[in-house]
Amino acid sequence: MAEDLVLDTAIRDWVLIPLSVVMVLIGVLRYFVSKLMRSYQVPDAKIVKEGQVIVRARNLRSGANFIPPKAFRARRVYFSNEENGLLFVPKGQAQNAQAQMFSDPNMAMDMMKKNLSMIIPQTLTFAWVNFFFSGFVAAKIPFPLTQRFRSMLQNGIDLSTVDVSYVSSRSWYFLNLFGLRGLFSLILGEENAMDDTQRMMQMSGFGFDPTKSLSAEKDSLDIIQHEWALPKFEQRAEAVLRKLVS
Amino acid sequence: MAGGSEKKSSEDANDLQTFNAENLQSNMKVIYYSRTFLSIIGGVIAGILGFTGLTGFIFYFLIMAITSIGLIAKAKFSVHSYFDSWNRIILDGFFGGLMSFVLFWTFAYDIVHIF
Repeated sequence: MAEDLVLDTAIRDWVLIPLSVVMVLIGVLRYFVSKLMRSYQVPDAKIVKEGQVIVRARNLRSGANFIPPKAFRARRVYFSNEENGLLFVPKGQAQNAQAQMFSDPNMAMDMMKKNLSMIIPQTLTFAWVNFFFSGFVAAKIPFPLTQRFRSMLQNGIDLSTVDVSYVSSRSWYFLNLFGLRGLFSLILGEENAMDDTQRMMQMSGFGFDPTKSLSAEKDSLDIIQHEWALPKFEQRAEAVLRKLVS
Repeated sequence: MAGGSEKKSSEDANDLQTFNAENLQSNMKVIYYSRTFLSIIGGVIAGILGFTGLTGFIFYFLIMAITSIGLIAKAKFSVHSYFDSWNRIILDGFFGGLMSFVLFWTFAYDIVHIF
């Protein structure tokens, strides 16, 4: 390996540890703030109804092989009948629901609040790190990377001969950003890992859920081949009993 | 640790599998927590012991393998009564703990070796 730089102990005390501690505290703060700011949204009756229909269809799919063929077919027709089946949504109505979702002021406000609560602390912390902690080597990552990462990891350091393992505090910030997700999910209970992509998917799920998943359920229900399991139960029971006896 | 995993009936003579979705999910969470926790601890150990480069990543895979073995042992080797497939307990969340591992590895390595 190249020469081993000796780094000042003060960097350890005043950069690495405070940065990590600050990020953990900000994460905890954001968790509590989002809990306080969560406005309770009265669920729309129509959406709840459609959600329950989907759940019923899904149960039918998973339990399909336990009921006699006629019963299964009767239920299937009830769901996917062209005229008044529960899962059948005429095309015109589909578009409407989507547009309505997005122009609903409450929904938009909630989405914005969630996005902001995610973005603002990150931006502020990043600016803080850049302002105070730039221009020196902050840490050494224990594995080597290629030269192409140099500009990304060593942005404040203008010496080109320093090993790429010595990184600036900006990269320590990013490392913390990704690595503390696991820690947050442990100490804050479930559902509070900082998965912004997951949350955004959940938000947009409110708008798309009724229309697309209804037709998806209908298709998957149509696909199912019914194979009644009851005749085989006797053989199964025999096998189990045989195993018990022998 | 794998508490809360009630018996789910899985019929082995034919393809019918019935699972209690809630218990399955809670078992998945147990796996996730175990892996995250162990990858953090493993990161600290790797840093203190001074692993660098490839050795550290090999250590990470070793830790994940130990997690898998530990979980299988806790499930008393009858994986099918707690999970729906082998892949779940072995491969799920394998790379999820990588970032936490690297963070704590870097942290411990720096504190101990470049102090």
